[in-house]
Amino acid sequence: MKTPPFLLLAVLVFWGWQSDLLILGALMGVALESSRFIKTRWDLSTDDFRRLWNFCVLLAGALALYVFSTNEGGGGFGTLVHGSAAGRTATLSGLHTASTLARWMPMMFFLFIAAQNFSERETIPLSAISLIFRRRQQNAVGIKPEWYVNIAYPYFIVCLFSASIHANEGAHTFFGGEGVLLAWALWPLRARRFNFAIWISTFLLALALAYAGSRGIGQLAQLAQNYNAQWMTRWLSSRPDPTQAMTAIGQIGELQMSSAIVIRMETKNGAPPPSYLREASYHSYRSQTWFAGGSHNEFLDIPAAANSGGTAYDLVPGKTNTADVSIACYINGWSSELSVPESLLPLPSGSGRLENIPSSVVAVKQNLTGGVLAAGPGFLIFDARYGAGATLDSPPNTNWDLTVPTNEIPALEQIVAELKISSTNPAQVELAVAQFFANKFTYSTWQRPDKTPHPNETPLARFLLRTRSGHCEYFATATVLLLRELGIRTRYAVGYYAHEADGENQYVVRGRDAHAWCLVWNDTTKAWEDFDTTPGSWVATESQRAHAWQSIKDFFSWLHFQFSKFRWGQSHLRRYILWAVIPMMGFLLYQIVFRRGRKRQAQKSNNKNSGAIPWPGLDSEFYQLETKIAARGLPRQSGEALSDWLARALAENTLADLRAPLAELLRLHYRHRFDPNGLNAEERKSLAQKVNTVLKTLAEK
Amino acid sequence: MTNSATNLATARATYQKIADNISQIMRGQSEATRHLLAALASGGHVLLEDYPGTGKTTLAKALAKSIDASFKRLQFTPDLLPSDILGVSIFNQRDQQFHFHEGPVFTNILLADEINRASPRTQSALLEAMGENQVSVEGERRNLPELFFVIATENPVEFRGTYPLPEAQMDRFAMQFTLGYVSPEEEVAVLTAQEHQHPIEELKSAVTLADVIALKRAVENIRISDELKRYVVDLVAATRKVSGVQLGASPRASLALMKTAQALALFEGADFVTPEQIQKLAVPVIAHRLVLEPQARFSGLTARSVVQDIVKKIKVPA
Repeated sequence: MKTPPFLLLAVLVFWGWQSDLLILGALMGVALESSRFIKTRWDLSTDDFRRLWNFCVLLAGALALYVFSTNEGGGGFGTLVHGSAAGRTATLSGLHTASTLARWMPMMFFLFIAAQNFSERETIPLSAISLIFRRRQQNAVGIKPEWYVNIAYPYFIVCLFSASIHANEGAHTFFGGEGVLLAWALWPLRARRFNFAIWISTFLLALALAYAGSRGIGQLAQLAQNYNAQWMTRWLSSRPDPTQAMTAIGQIGELQMSSAIVIRMETKNGAPPPSYLREASYHSYRSQTWFAGGSHNEFLDIPAAANSGGTAYDLVPGKTNTADVSIACYINGWSSELSVPESLLPLPSGSGRLENIPSSVVAVKQNLTGGVLAAGPGFLIFDARYGAGATLDSPPNTNWDLTVPTNEIPALEQIVAELKISSTNPAQVELAVAQFFANKFTYSTWQRPDKTPHPNETPLARFLLRTRSGHCEYFATATVLLLRELGIRTRYAVGYYAHEADGENQYVVRGRDAHAWCLVWNDTTKAWEDFDTTPGSWVATESQRAHAWQSIKDFFSWLHFQFSKFRWGQSHLRRYILWAVIPMMGFLLYQIVFRRGRKRQAQKSNNKNSGAIPWPGLDSEFYQLETKIAARGLPRQSGEALSDWLARALAENTLADLRAPLAELLRLHYRHRFDPNGLNAEERKSLAQKVNTVLKTLAEK
Repeated sequence: MTNSATNLATARATYQKIADNISQIMRGQSEATRHLLAALASGGHVLLEDYPGTGKTTLAKALAKSIDASFKRLQFTPDLLPSDILGVSIFNQRDQQFHFHEGPVFTNILLADEINRASPRTQSALLEAMGENQVSVEGERRNLPELFFVIATENPVEFRGTYPLPEAQMDRFAMQFTLGYVSPEEEVAVLTAQEHQHPIEELKSAVTLADVIALKRAVENIRISDELKRYVVDLVAATRKVSGVQLGASPRASLALMKTAQALALFEGADFVTPEQIQKLAVPVIAHRLVLEPQARFSGLTARSVVQDIVKKIKVPA
């Protein structure tokens, strides 16, 4: 089924107009339509088409890879192999890739349709495209049919679809253009049984329904979005928020932690790794949530250090840093302001300077409570230099750093009484508190349901007074509040505890190594120090939860890590891909198109097909009748003899009076065609006349 | 009217008389009758494969009775010997010489009932007779009458004690078709007709042997264009390329298809062959010659469906 003349040109121009590729679209259209005037044809076999199709699909794949790795959207195939919150950004980036690809589809498959238009058959064997058809043909018992299709119409649909992706001229222009093109495409295919009015009204009705439908879907999507907004936020806070940290305190049941690797570290010269990687700290506790106060606006841009070429950032200017660690982590958050991935960096305690920051990082910011935010790529490898001494946290604030929520005070006072601390020396107080937690508390990720309800008891009081068993958030929160009750300024810190070695100088940090601890202000050194009261057994307890197939998961984790490195331009692989893909594609194309003996100056009519033998009687006027009746929507099948087909076509009541004249005509036609004696001149004339009479009658129907 | 046109009209009348005569006995089997007569008129032989009691023998007998010709019926059994078919020389004491006693094969119409129950050796005895219209007995060649028509029947449900016909023998049959069960109304009519007496007893011959031979001659004069010959060859050749078919149809099938189509054209009142006639006869003429691969057979492919498919797929001249 060929498209009407210049339809493909029109749709390609329309597509080019909608996608800002007008000249390219026009060129492609002209190239396709020129096959109507140029008689040169290639003799392409099913195998050639198969290779061409594979080439087009490979091209689409290569383009997808390229687009995916170049668009600076964010995310990766995160959710597939990685348990972290990469999904959200991956969706956005995936969407971007998908829409770009969909927009380019007419280009990707241009070669294929051009091959069809310039091939001798001007159709494409279905087994070249579809594995199902190929398999069916190979396994076919009985006659092996090869189905040939003309893909001009499917290509037309693809172009329309692609044009719809970038309707930058507004939905109404697109809709109007689409309607005109569709009418143009469908007009030659209409069943001639029905008159013009019926056809146009059906078409307009379909258009109206489509318009209403698309509007309806848009409104439905809006509704769903509004309804979903709250529900969606549940998934958006899995990485620490610099302004607040919701704890799992008070939740019943098992605390679920992922064992996926989230951070990799490499130390220099066999130095030990930093134990604590802090992401954020908070100062106010209210109803099981820690707050840092303020909002994102509190983050201030850090300028790149001088003489570093934009690759280094001083967090604490003038600090002497003795240790150095290279950290690789995922950037899983999303900056709605910059429209790039953004999240808090896990930094060793006492970090003073960040080095080797790639140029894809657009901004590095820090806030008052020691959070450092990086925005740019979805994956980052950098060096952190750190050492004892001053930290980037703000100095203690008496309003925040000594405040205890009033509802927790009764429980804390009981504990203070139990501790019986006489000294006011902070070091001794801290030691006593640490001993208290170490001796009387146990680590557990499992919280039993409360059998006897205590209505006025807070979850923290329950932990302190009755269960004395919990996870790190309990310990950290309790410690922070207890020390404040004892007059020491503290903050609540979250991040990771690094302990797992993975080869020489290499360390990995898993999701289950996420940790919370306490920051204590040391008045003598004027610095915040890490203070962890969670029993040391927590590491072992968490490690026991490793799966039997942990090594396999780690392998995928490693793959994802390597992919992210490539994906976010932190390796040189991306540069090589283009250089690898271009020659490969060129070679494939050469194999397909320019193999020797492929090209042939062939006229459209060749004598190879049996159908082209000049059998007698092919000049019969009866064929005009056949075309006319077939156009009413009842075409003749290839194996259907004329009389069988006429019986089927004339079953329609309106044509009943044609049955007798047509039967007589068929007899004449058959004599003309199949009687070796043929018709005499008079009968030949009468055949032509009778056909004309019937044609006239038919035109009136 | 020209001479040939008169001949055609006479031949068509002969056909009509036989067909009418048979239809008195065989209710609702006009198509089968037409196929049978097409084979008769084109000089081929027929293999009827059907369930017991569907009227195979009756059809053969009705045909024999309608023509004023000799008719013999031969019931095939495992112990039947070739000489039981062809005939045997017996020593005559009186004149001290061997005299040949003709077997049942020396007849115009031979009904070979349950042909697959005889041993292959006996089945083969029929081969020469069917192929060459002659038999060789004791080194001597004897011609069969000019009209020699074999109607063999076969029961598809019996397997024990049967010998499937060899492919070569299958190929000698111009056509194989089934009668099938008739509609309930037709069956009631059969009951009514036979309430007192089998109507076949009263059946009178409608045409003479000479008429039938004239019919055969007339069929040879039906014209067929080169394009349709090519179509016939295309149909038959397609069976050789179909996967799942071990053995396709032979050129003998093309010949049989052309000749029976000529006969059918005559019956339908035309003096040349049209594609419709070829399509109608493709299945009964070609299907029985195909040997399917066991695997294809198990997957539900039948020879009939293969031929039907081919007829549907191959472009018909129009």
